[in-house]
Amino acid sequence: MAYAYLFKYIIIGDTGVGKSCLLLQFTDKRFQPVHDLTIGVEFGARMITIDGKQIKLQIWDTAGQESFRSITRSYYRGAAGALLVYDITRRDTFNHLTTWLEDARQHSNSNMVIMLIGNKSDLESRREVKKEEGEAFAREHGLIFMETSAKTASNVEEAFINTAKEIYEKIQEGVFDINNEANGIKIGPQHAATNATHAGNQGGQQAGGGCC
Amino acid sequence: MNKIRGLPPEVREPGPGVELGVEDGLLCQLIHSPEFNLFSKSVVFESNFIQVTKPGDWMNVCEGSTTMILGVTSSVPSLPLPNILLMANVTWPQGQFSTGNTPDSAPVITLSRILPLKFVELQICDRLQRILRIRTVTEKIYYLRLHEKHPETVFQFWIRLVKILQKGLSITTKDPRIQFTHCLVPKMSSSSTETTPESSLLLSSQPSESFMLLETKQTSDSFSHFSGRSQLTADRVCDLNILGRPQRFHMEDAL
Repeated sequence: MAYAYLFKYIIIGDTGVGKSCLLLQFTDKRFQPVHDLTIGVEFGARMITIDGKQIKLQIWDTAGQESFRSITRSYYRGAAGALLVYDITRRDTFNHLTTWLEDARQHSNSNMVIMLIGNKSDLESRREVKKEEGEAFAREHGLIFMETSAKTASNVEEAFINTAKEIYEKIQEGVFDINNEANGIKIGPQHAATNATHAGNQGGQQAGGGCC
Repeated sequence: MNKIRGLPPEVREPGPGVELGVEDGLLCQLIHSPEFNLFSKSVVFESNFIQVTKPGDWMNVCEGSTTMILGVTSSVPSLPLPNILLMANVTWPQGQFSTGNTPDSAPVITLSRILPLKFVELQICDRLQRILRIRTVTEKIYYLRLHEKHPETVFQFWIRLVKILQKGLSITTKDPRIQFTHCLVPKMSSSSTETTPESSLLLSSQPSESFMLLETKQTSDSFSHFSGRSQLTADRVCDLNILGRPQRFHMEDAL
């Protein structure tokens, strides 16, 4: 399917925070409570529409386990967006954000958009990390922030799409050099001639949700 | 004049692997495409498989025309052994299948996983049924039957690949001073359910080799952590208790 842009995303964060579940909810609109431990990379993809343009999200779901960490670092290259996920019911996953962020900053391009996600918001009774703490961390480090629930699908669409909107805005502002593939953005084959000519329009909307 | 004399220009003629559909196939084209741009200088060996159920009945897991493409490649082409396993799903229109590149067949291919081979064990599960068994460190097991339209030669390639991954090549270092302190995917114990002729042969004739694993070392390129020092090791002292307990792996030690 033709697209104007392709954005590469990477999902990172401690093991068990729900990275694969977020991906499955976004691409397949379903929740799978038990998921195999991720090793290597698992891929997902979906088309969305922003500013009337078809954008393909190529999503790299990585292993969160410490043992696979050194491999995960090699996947940052060429990512336009990162979803940094913690579990609001596990304080330790929040405490490890700094390490993940250091990794992301060190191994990715400096313009990569990072969305901080506090997942499992449906488990309010077991909450260990206040929403305000997530907001403060994001503010301090220049991240976007949302709390999500992969189980109920709350804010899942928004997390992925708002990240894309931010990337798209950076393209419009000329922050991203879209001809440099190291930025994690590729121009669709049919749109190469007309790219970067539509400045200023924002307010993306999500597409029908078909996987691609 | 900067030209180097004496080196003939590179000539790339399609080899028999292309005709058999195991080289320059759909998976190779996908990962080398601008969309992924992965391992662009490495050859990809690939084949079409149908996922089947556990030993016994070998029923297809999926109905219809969904096929899995399994491929191996190297993060760096100079490595003596492949170190990357690729898995993709492909759907053929009208259920057709072809190893060629006919434009009207237009299959839909989706890359699903990239796995470092060091975290994967490949076995020939049933030679007659042409079934591969793939086991990951997380105990995810796939049984894959080579697509019926592949000629027997293709399965012979997979048998050879499995043996190479287990035994190494003549150029693979056999230096006993290189120590490996762990084993990520140790072979199942004698109570293993693998009783097929191929696996039995391997277990009985070369028990130490059944513990062999591909080890790789990190370099600085993309997916670089899978490259550099490639060799097989017969690790008899691996801790079998780590089966199913990947939290005990110490990959950093191995890299």
